[in-house]
Amino acid sequence: MNELIIETNQLTKKFSKRYAVENIDLKIKKGEIYGFLGPNGAGKTTTIRMLLGLAKPTKGSIHIFGKDMKREKLNVLKRVGSLVEYPSYYGHLNAYENLDALRILLDAPKSRINEVLSIVRLSNEAKRPVKGFSLGMKQRLGIAAALLGNPELLILDEPTNGLDPSGILEIRELIKSMPKEHGITILVSSHLLSEMDQMATQVGIISKGKMIFQDSIEALRQRAQSKIAIKVDQTEQAWRMLLSKGRQAEMDNNQIYLPHTSDEEISTVIGDLVHDHFSVYRVQEEKKSLEDIFLELTGGEGSL
Amino acid sequence: MLSILASDFIKIRRKLIWFLIFLGPFGVVALQAVNFGLRYDYLTKVHEKDLWAGLIGEAGYLAIPALMLGLTLIASMISNIEHQTNAWKQLLALPVSKLRVFTGKFLLTALLLFVSSTFLLLGIIVLGFFLKFGADVPLLALLKMAYFPYLAAMPFIALQIWLSITMKNQAIPLVIGIVGTILSLMSFRFPDWMPWKWPSLTNGWNDPLYSVTFGLVCGLAIYLIGLLDFARKDVK
Ligand SMILES: Nc1ncnc2c1ncn2[C@@H]1O[C@H](COP(=O)(O)OP(=O)(O)OP(=O)(O)O)[C@@H](O)[C@H]1O
Ligand SMILES: [Mg+2]
Repeated sequence: MNELIIETNQLTKKFSKRYAVENIDLKIKKGEIYGFLGPNGAGKTTTIRMLLGLAKPTKGSIHIFGKDMKREKLNVLKRVGSLVEYPSYYGHLNAYENLDALRILLDAPKSRINEVLSIVRLSNEAKRPVKGFSLGMKQRLGIAAALLGNPELLILDEPTNGLDPSGILEIRELIKSMPKEHGITILVSSHLLSEMDQMATQVGIISKGKMIFQDSIEALRQRAQSKIAIKVDQTEQAWRMLLSKGRQAEMDNNQIYLPHTSDEEISTVIGDLVHDHFSVYRVQEEKKSLEDIFLELTGGEGSL
Repeated sequence: MLSILASDFIKIRRKLIWFLIFLGPFGVVALQAVNFGLRYDYLTKVHEKDLWAGLIGEAGYLAIPALMLGLTLIASMISNIEHQTNAWKQLLALPVSKLRVFTGKFLLTALLLFVSSTFLLLGIIVLGFFLKFGADVPLLALLKMAYFPYLAAMPFIALQIWLSITMKNQAIPLVIGIVGTILSLMSFRFPDWMPWKWPSLTNGWNDPLYSVTFGLVCGLAIYLIGLLDFARKDVK
């Protein structure tokens, strides 16, 4: 399971003077759902374009399935399905013809068209011109197109963009089911951490072209550990007293904060405070959400 | 290569392109029908010696601007199918090389214009019979009239495909194509080396094969330049 499906080394893209992507080292293992997160303009799409060979890196290398993209691009792309930014389609053709035009190039059997149409639940709309489709249907058609060639790696750039909650849920369930059922590895980008929380196993967070976090979703959750906030009458004295007893207390906002500890530990702290005649007004647990962490990591300009 | 063409043929289903392929030659034949219909006595007198050659000459002259305009429009329409929803990114993320994609579009345009030229050939034969020019059909002259200008126009097919594919805004290739069409109409004044003169097949050697050869060689060169440019650029 430790086989790396995608590995980039110092991947960089520069547009005239500006770096859109700078020294990105992506590492994605087989069977993972890798959530590629970042605020608008962070460089997600630019990275994905380079992974698919649509844009040439200014610097750095890309290996997919252990193959160098520079030299074996077409061999790699045979095993990759993708959806980049908003969906592309041929509006005058119906859904079936749209997929047929792509299927021929993938050398997939004709029967595969109906298979992928039913996976994305478009079988009943197969004969309608795609220009009359809703955005959600077009998005689903794009995902069907990505699945046509039975890919081992799916690269989806904001696949839930513009979908309503039930559409988002549907796509999310679809994505979650893939690695289990078919052993597919998935890279999915988003600017919403909450969306990733419910499907990703690994996350990479990119901001202003730089990778600022890459680890398992659990590791990210660890960062979201709660703190205990205590409100007392004489904050400063109480804080000094706790420090003198060797506690890792912090003072902020006229409150005392303790790192997350056991119940016994908290009860001892409260006992000490009461013993020294401080009035304890409130003791509460403050939990940081993943969203807070994301905002912190990306320096405030963040997800919606 | 066949698969990319098959894919491209699916994409032009129900498009105006097919109508244009038919409209071009039909327009030329219809105009000649009117021309000969209105001035039958005069024209049959002028071309008394060889009625068929007269018809072929008149039609061939009209066919040049139709060809130049037609190739401009078709190259643009074929490219626009991909531009509309930026399907380039979807297409080129498939296991197909840019070489095959570019060559496919070029071949598709060339093939459609070949079909169009063939329609012209058939249309003129029908018109000739209709005008009672006799059963002695000069096939060689007809073939030359239908296909030589087409082959001599290869540089323009290659140029228009290149421009239409690499530019999202189709106004630029369309303007260039239309200006080219106008230039080809005044080309009798041009020196022989100017490509706009080649479809007229007139040259100092008085041999249309020179024009055809220039066209094919220069067409290949522009195709290669276009291909290199397309392969070099990032996909939008
Ligand atoms: N072709 C281009 N030319 C110049 N700059 C570009 C080009 N493509 C992208 N950029 C710039 O690169 C940066 C990264 O853009 P990118 O589209 O990769 O962001 P993103 O993370 O996908 O954002 P979003 O969430 O909005 O989709 C942006 O500042 C963008 O303006
Ligand atoms: Mg993007």
